[in-house]
Amino acid sequence: MTSSSDAGRPDVQNAKRQADAAKRAAKKGIEEEAEPHATRKRYHRFDRIQRLEHAALLISFTVLSVTGLPQKYPDSWWGKGMLAAMGGIEMTRVIHHSAAVLLIAASIFHLLALGYRLWVQRAPATMMPGWRDVQDAIATLSYDFGKRKLPPLMGHYNFGEKIEYWAVIWGTVIMVLTGFVLWNPILVTKYLPGQFVPASKAAHGGEALLAVLSIITWHFYNVHLKHFNRSIFTGRISGELMEEEHGRELEEIEDNTRKQPNPSTRRRTIYVPIATVVGLLMLATVYFFLTYEDTAITTVPRQDVEIYVPAEATETP
Amino acid sequence: MGICLGLLLTVSAHRPATAQQPPPDSACRLCHTDTDETLALPDGEELSLGIDPTIIDASVHGGHSPEIGCTDCHRPHEEYLYPHTAAQPESRTAFLAKVAESCSSCHLPADQHNPGHLGVLDNSNIPNCVDCHGGHDATSAASMAADPVGTCLNCHQEFGDPQSVQVHEEFAHTLDKDKNCTTCHNDQAISPNQKCESCHTLLQSEKTLASGETLSLHLDLAELAESVHGLHLINTDGGAPLKCADCHVDMERYGFPHPESNVMDLRELQLGMQNICGDCHEDIYRQQLTSVHGKAQAYGTMVAASCVDCHGSHDVENPSVPREKISQTCGNCHSTINDQYEHSVHGAALLGEQNPDVPVCTDCHGVHDIGDPRTAEFRLSSPEMCGKCHADKELMEKYDISTNVFDSYVSDFHGTTVALFEEQSPHEETNKAVCYDCHGVHDILPATDENSHIIRANLLVTCRQCHPDAGDNFPDAWMSHFEPSLEHNTLVFFVDWFYRLLIPGVMAGFSLFIGADIYRTVRNRYSRKKGEKTDDIE
Repeated sequence: MTSSSDAGRPDVQNAKRQADAAKRAAKKGIEEEAEPHATRKRYHRFDRIQRLEHAALLISFTVLSVTGLPQKYPDSWWGKGMLAAMGGIEMTRVIHHSAAVLLIAASIFHLLALGYRLWVQRAPATMMPGWRDVQDAIATLSYDFGKRKLPPLMGHYNFGEKIEYWAVIWGTVIMVLTGFVLWNPILVTKYLPGQFVPASKAAHGGEALLAVLSIITWHFYNVHLKHFNRSIFTGRISGELMEEEHGRELEEIEDNTRKQPNPSTRRRTIYVPIATVVGLLMLATVYFFLTYEDTAITTVPRQDVEIYVPAEATETP
Repeated sequence: MGICLGLLLTVSAHRPATAQQPPPDSACRLCHTDTDETLALPDGEELSLGIDPTIIDASVHGGHSPEIGCTDCHRPHEEYLYPHTAAQPESRTAFLAKVAESCSSCHLPADQHNPGHLGVLDNSNIPNCVDCHGGHDATSAASMAADPVGTCLNCHQEFGDPQSVQVHEEFAHTLDKDKNCTTCHNDQAISPNQKCESCHTLLQSEKTLASGETLSLHLDLAELAESVHGLHLINTDGGAPLKCADCHVDMERYGFPHPESNVMDLRELQLGMQNICGDCHEDIYRQQLTSVHGKAQAYGTMVAASCVDCHGSHDVENPSVPREKISQTCGNCHSTINDQYEHSVHGAALLGEQNPDVPVCTDCHGVHDIGDPRTAEFRLSSPEMCGKCHADKELMEKYDISTNVFDSYVSDFHGTTVALFEEQSPHEETNKAVCYDCHGVHDILPATDENSHIIRANLLVTCRQCHPDAGDNFPDAWMSHFEPSLEHNTLVFFVDWFYRLLIPGVMAGFSLFIGADIYRTVRNRYSRKKGEKTDDIE
């Protein structure tokens, strides 16, 4: 734990900022925007890496949904229309597969980034769900229904965000695994029962529907409708939203009791090369598997059949 | 030979009763019997003036009652009174022709009775009565009938036309009392059709074409009469059966005498008839031209089927009665495929039990509009083709076959792709399996047969046609047309149910929180407004 009062940035960039520690300390641990006349306090929330991860997820998820749903409902007018617009079913599959590769790559990257955050930086695992989240959820409902005067004060990630994060984790694991089965049915059935293929198809479709519906309801409501929350794009969050959605974090920041990361150069020296190699290996594995199967997608040449074979003529009397 | 008192009573009803009695035959005979005198005719020929009365007496006219006298034939009798005043004939032929004119006073005139010559009455060389029946020695019809050919041979010793020679030589030795020259060359004016029939019904020989192939020249009239162009036309339209020249229209080729044939082989002759069929069967002909057979012909594949190959020529009959005939017809050229079909579930039912429901060749391939089954279009539309029967509940109930096969196919990976291709890019190839890739093309067997491509024991081999690396478990990746249930595809059944419960569950939870939040937000705004107002009042 560094002695400098960090402005609630759980990332490595803080080190760079240590020079400005005194300045920020004067601002009572609250990071203000540089504009001299700014009246609204804004807090740092997402670093560049996180925003990039979100962008990758946003793109891959959207493309996967747009190319995937019409494949789930190919009989519907809209499904057919979308498939035709995207250049037919085979082209749609190619796009879908490409987006899947992006999602897998983003997932691998997230794993490595997470390792860095947790092990190299020893940043608090703010996304871990706990008993507190259940209490927060109940308290939120109680407040909504008037059983409670004030809403609960929640941490860096509130229960709604944790639900969504873990839903994405769960969903991605399911989608990648079942998608892998569908992509490599011959390889998979060498080791698993054949029925795993149609079961994977069912799960892939069911999970996709669940994911899309969740995004449309939970995600859109919470970050688009309720407030138009731009923090995942700008990296900063307004004081009002901080107060409303992350009250406990705000208190911690103000009280300077917030848990701080504890980066180590030694761990970093060890981690970065290993993570790079592991990441590349994982990507190579993905590439290997995704191009492993030939005969599920290529055409076996047709057999030639003799067409004109006259029946033996019977002698005319 | 002076005294010709011939007064002759004849049988003729036509003969007007004359006031002046002609001289009796005895008068004529006085001079003309036993004389060697001849009359020199202007053309140099000599006309014998002697007669042998015994010949007359032995002839059909001899001893006729009433008696037939000399001037009944040598007319008018005034000219034959003695001394004769008749003008001297130009030639012997002219003399006989004049005599022959008298025949019609008792018999049918020569323009009504001249067997074999009525079609060419304008020809100056046709025989008259005397030429065939004789003069003084006129023979009875009965005795002519006994040797009818002999009569004709008097003139027709040689037939100049080689085709006629062929015809006559071929059946001359078979002629008898019932079948003779007049069978063909009778009193009736001969129609063009009869001209054809008169030779070709009798001919049994074959013509050798340049290719060495032979063409039978025989025409079976019964076959023609029983064909659709005979009986059918008579029965339906009350119309006339087709005539030879209705189909053999090319008079340069089929006119008589037939010109030297330039047809190289039998096939050329058969293909030539195709256009002729099109004269009446226009729509069908147009379909045939664009069919796989028509196109193959256009590209020079001459063995490709033409009209007559399937329908026959003179013996055209209903091609689909009985129904088995259809596959046998196709089998004439596609014998190996037909062998497979005959052993398939469909073919066996057709041939074994005359099952009217099973498809024959034309049900899948079309009739005259037979398409190329190797095209993307055919392949992509083939599941619907199978579905025509296999999705028909009423039909499938009879055989206890599930009609779910089509839907379960379309909802699977292969079927979904194929259905989309068919709708969105019907000309593009797709390698996804269609019904016949798994079930077999012409050798489809029941799903219970030990040789079926699709029973579990053989399924891996079938899958490996397209997926050579497939392992033992791979065939189970296909749900075998079963809906997921507790018995079949249990895992899929549970996964389906898991999401059927999970999705609404999650949505209900989200809705609870979202609904509650909206409720609180609205309440807050409402009470804040209210509060502000209250503040204002206070």
